[in-house]
Amino acid sequence: MGKDERFDIVIVGAGPNGMTTAAYLAKCGLSVCVLEERTECGGACETQEPIPGVRIYPHAMLMYASAAPGFEQLELHKYGFRMEWEPTNPMEAANAGLACTDGWRAISDADKLGWAKIGGMLGQPPFTRELLRATFWCPPHPSDVEVTDENTPYMQVYKKHQPDIWTPELREMTMFDLMDEHLETEPFKTGMAFAAWASGAAGHWEGVAIPAALCVQLLTLPNTGKNSIPRGGLHGYFHAIHRAAVHRGAVIRTSCPVDEILIEDGRAVGVRLRETAAAGGKTIRANKAVIAACDVHQAFLKMVGPKHLDPALIRTIKDISLKNQTLYVSVFHTKKQLTYKERFRELGEARYVGENRQPGLGIYPCDSREIYYENVRDVDGRKGQPTVPPERALWFQTPPQSFDPTDCQASYPRGYISNAFEMAVTSPDYHTEGEDALDRHKDEMDRFMRESYSQMVDGLDDDNLIHHWSATGRDIEFRNTGLIGGTWCGSRHDEDQLWTNRPLPELARYRTPIEGLYHAHQTSGHPGGLCLMAIPYNLMHILIEDGIAEPGKWWYASPYYIPQEGKISARRP
Amino acid sequence: MSNFSYESKFKYDPSDLFGHMQEEFPQESEFDVVIIGAGPNGLIAAAYLAKAGLSVAVCERRFEVGGGLATEENLYPCYASNPHVLYHMMVDYMPAIRDFDLDGPALTWIKPNAQTGMVFEDGSSILMSRMVQDTKDSISKYSFKDAITFGSVIRKWRKIVDEIVAPATYVPPMAPIEITMAMERTELGREMLELGEYSPFEIITNTFEHEKVRTMMLYASCMWGLDPHETGLGFMVPLMLDRTVNKCYCYGGSHKFGSALAREVVKHGGLILEAAGVDKIIMQNGRAVGVQLAHEGRVLRAKAVMSTLDPHTTFLDLVGREHLPDSILGDVEGWAWDKWSFNTLHIAADEPPKYACDDPWIDEAFATVIGIESVDQLISHWDNVAAGRLDLTSFGGHSTCESLLDPTLSDRPGKYVSMFQIHAPYGIEGGWLDRRKEVQEAMLSRWQKAAPNLTHDKIVSIGMEDPEEIEIRFPQMRRGAIKHGDYGPLQMGCFRPNQDCSGTDTPIEGLYVCGASTYPGGLVLGGPGYLGANKVAEDMAIAKWWRPTSEMERYIRIYLQE
Ligand SMILES: Cc1cc2nc3c(=O)[nH]c(=O)nc-3n(C[C@H](O)[C@H](O)[C@H](O)COP(=O)(O)OP(=O)(O)OC[C@H]3O[C@@H](n4cnc5c(N)ncnc54)[C@H](O)[C@@H]3O)c2cc1C
Ligand SMILES: Cc1cc2nc3c(=O)[nH]c(=O)nc-3n(C[C@H](O)[C@H](O)[C@H](O)COP(=O)(O)OP(=O)(O)OC[C@H]3O[C@@H](n4cnc5c(N)ncnc54)[C@H](O)[C@@H]3O)c2cc1C
Repeated sequence: MGKDERFDIVIVGAGPNGMTTAAYLAKCGLSVCVLEERTECGGACETQEPIPGVRIYPHAMLMYASAAPGFEQLELHKYGFRMEWEPTNPMEAANAGLACTDGWRAISDADKLGWAKIGGMLGQPPFTRELLRATFWCPPHPSDVEVTDENTPYMQVYKKHQPDIWTPELREMTMFDLMDEHLETEPFKTGMAFAAWASGAAGHWEGVAIPAALCVQLLTLPNTGKNSIPRGGLHGYFHAIHRAAVHRGAVIRTSCPVDEILIEDGRAVGVRLRETAAAGGKTIRANKAVIAACDVHQAFLKMVGPKHLDPALIRTIKDISLKNQTLYVSVFHTKKQLTYKERFRELGEARYVGENRQPGLGIYPCDSREIYYENVRDVDGRKGQPTVPPERALWFQTPPQSFDPTDCQASYPRGYISNAFEMAVTSPDYHTEGEDALDRHKDEMDRFMRESYSQMVDGLDDDNLIHHWSATGRDIEFRNTGLIGGTWCGSRHDEDQLWTNRPLPELARYRTPIEGLYHAHQTSGHPGGLCLMAIPYNLMHILIEDGIAEPGKWWYASPYYIPQEGKISARRP
Repeated sequence: MSNFSYESKFKYDPSDLFGHMQEEFPQESEFDVVIIGAGPNGLIAAAYLAKAGLSVAVCERRFEVGGGLATEENLYPCYASNPHVLYHMMVDYMPAIRDFDLDGPALTWIKPNAQTGMVFEDGSSILMSRMVQDTKDSISKYSFKDAITFGSVIRKWRKIVDEIVAPATYVPPMAPIEITMAMERTELGREMLELGEYSPFEIITNTFEHEKVRTMMLYASCMWGLDPHETGLGFMVPLMLDRTVNKCYCYGGSHKFGSALAREVVKHGGLILEAAGVDKIIMQNGRAVGVQLAHEGRVLRAKAVMSTLDPHTTFLDLVGREHLPDSILGDVEGWAWDKWSFNTLHIAADEPPKYACDDPWIDEAFATVIGIESVDQLISHWDNVAAGRLDLTSFGGHSTCESLLDPTLSDRPGKYVSMFQIHAPYGIEGGWLDRRKEVQEAMLSRWQKAAPNLTHDKIVSIGMEDPEEIEIRFPQMRRGAIKHGDYGPLQMGCFRPNQDCSGTDTPIEGLYVCGASTYPGGLVLGGPGYLGANKVAEDMAIAKWWRPTSEMERYIRIYLQE
């Protein structure tokens, strides 16, 4: 093999964050190489067709990114980005009720108004996009700037547009506190708290009330208040990003795991591939920067390695908390379609989705926050197999594939496919019975899942069931090494690990102690998990500050961004 | 910029709560070329034309490009394999691989020496290797004469492939009379013509004497669908045998080839839309002027529409009977689907299969044929299949342990994925849904008999894709037709798909056909897509940035030039 290849930028990992970063930097005219361990790009944003006609999204499934500047800045519409807009919508029906153990409970007008208000929809004009952007699409402030009520982006937005949400306690609250102030019924609050736990920050964590509430709003509010998805699923949206990067000249190499980040004189100068890589153990050099878009543990503890980092930092990196739930995802193949149990039939028609009339269930059971606490206690507290009885286990089911006509599910000729049921369970790395506990308990867990889901529907019995596809957190972790701990977002989105603390205060602005090395992964950067194009947008501010990226006129910075003293401002005059 | 034209109507309006926050691909757009289907042929056509500066869009019905170039987690969760294309037969010759530099850092092709083995019930075996002498050594166990014959015949056949058949794959088809005239020019050409007068069965039995050797050679000649008894296509036997010992594996899975081609399309400004099934080719004044997407009604207009789908879908479903000239209607309606399809068993196991036989190197072979004992049995198996039957007491097929070549397919360390594929009828007696279980069990026990280490406790996951499922995944593979239509003398050469369309242009102005059902045919030859791109470039008077490969130039010089 000839001389080492050279690029301006080498990116490790072609998940949504790595690829979006590539698209941004290629658009700045830089030569970019993306190295991906797996054979297919997309990271945890993928689609599989395990048997013909049945599609499974093993990880990301729902669209949270609508407010992202990336759509416009990267011009994703020119690369084929399309949405599915008029689904037969379960969430619309959810407006009518939340599922509780004894049937549907109505959502009151006060709930709807309060929720809309938190989401910025009652502003004149509505400021939802601005609010979401301030919360997720703005880099953390520089470490020498004290974070205050005045300079916290979402606080500024509320103060300007919806002062009755703004209170001096807002930054300290839990999402439950916030909901108690603005909403009315317990089932609605419980449902939203669970949705938040499964989408980002949990309902009972202090100091993250707004990020928690808004990560649910990311899903439901923007664009029609409906739950819409990209054509071809989230992987279809990823494809548009991928094409934007490739079209601008980014070079993508798959089956190319990186083993080491090469460091010379304290500076990252390239990477070395693993021996099994398609390009066999070779070295790829980076003139300007190496960007680790893979998980934070691997990036620092293995690829950089202890010899380049001080022991205190290594300890805190090891301690980055993954004590997050993981999602146990189930898809069912049945002979007959699932049907609502008697007590849920009253809402009947409105809640069947798609051509093959799959029940759209939402979240269950939402009776009260006690149920939420019981589940959280099992998963994050006891960290083991569930002790809650199956009738009180909290779960959600969203059937996006059923309302996307480009997905073949709805017309599957060999029975009925019901997707996807998800339950939060302990992540394998923190399971008290060991990291392989989920492997050992898989059959039992599958049964537990079916029993839980059978609280709302009939048809998951042995007679009707043809196949149950399930993926545990352990499977997730093997499939994609980016999903450390087998959790869906890696490090927890709690107060200690969000915004200027994500993943640690000293790494919060995507820079690292190694010159020329940046990080851009869900486990390492604000705002963390979800396929938002947020980390790359935020990172752009920093790369502009450091003189690495010089974007054209298409660029605009977050209005709430505070430039670092002595650096080039990412804000355009 | 992706250089298609459209009118942007998007404007973000914060006060419209039900408005959209982001712009989408336009409802109406205009391209030079729109291609239907992102299989190898569609992608190859698109890559050539995009690089030539045309604005190109590829519309793909599935969520992923690649068509038959698929790698899926079909042993979900955690184990992937290649449900369709696994053996890449033409890597050595395909112009697209050279013109886009797809050998090297972009893709890694593995061509193991141990290529195809055959294991018999009595524990004997034959191993065909890339290195001729290795194959001869293996054959010599049965017949020294056959070993010597193999050596001299394969050498000659290799020349026929290298000088004629392989390069001709990428040159427009000729009428039989023109072929005869061209081939008459050389000794090699005359030998090739002579082969055409025999059936594969005759060629093999005339050439080799030992039953086991004949069985192996016949399997290799006809596994892709040549009829063992039909005369007229005998010239393909050299190609099939030569390719049997020269096939490649695409490291990382076949889908990587599809992604690499797709990146070439995009890099040169082409657009790919997935989840974009075409449900109509728009006709205006007898001309094809664009396509309409199913479900979303988006319209992509184009000067040229290229379909890579089977003739039924393209002409009857998308264009519509009312627009078809009589000259092709009959041919389209009379199109014959492949006489057999594939039924494939996939497993993940603690070990690769270890075959109980006299040759340990069989375990390393890229493909291993099992369950076939004699020429008669093989032919009766194929006859059965062609008649819609499967005799579960007497059948066989080929197997591969993909993990031996590619550790990336199994995400769980220490596990191996393997497959066992048999020829099988689409319309099986009793129906696939009802017979699946029984067939799966029979296949597994046949496999276990040949590889006794594959005991049930070692198998972690198992799945089977039957011919009906091939059609569920890919509707253009009608009746499980892996090549979009049978290989027979009346559907090959200038008759594929019919005389009016085999040059990739059609009697309908603006419409081209360049999938597996067009000359030179199915499998990942990269021929139809390449020829389609050439034709469109010529019709649009676009300068070609590419030149024929050196083998093609030599072929043209010797056989075609005045
Ligand atoms: C079950 C589940 C459900 C989810 N649901 C949703 C949802 O509905 N909506 C949503 O928006 N998000 C969802 N997510 C979250 C979302 O998928 C992730 O937040 C997102 O994929 C993170 O992107 P990333 O680029 O940071 O990391 P990843 O997607 O983890 O990508 C990292 C990439 O780096 C590669 N890599 C790792 N190590 C190396 C190495 N050594 N060398 C080279 N490459 C390497 C990996 O193979 C991977 O491709 C879900 C996640 C899970 C697990
Ligand atoms: C089980 C099996 C095993 C095989 N093994 C091998 C092998 O080992 N080696 C080999 O060389 N070949 C193999 N083949 C054959 C090979 O897959 C095909 O011959 C080859 O893929 C044909 O390429 P193509 O580009 O013409 O069409 P395809 O690969 O069939 O691609 C056509 C594309 O069009 C899309 N499409 C369908 N309808 C529409 C529509 N209405 N609108 C838009 N898009 C549409 C499809 O989704 C598909 O992506 C195998 C096939 C099967 C089924």
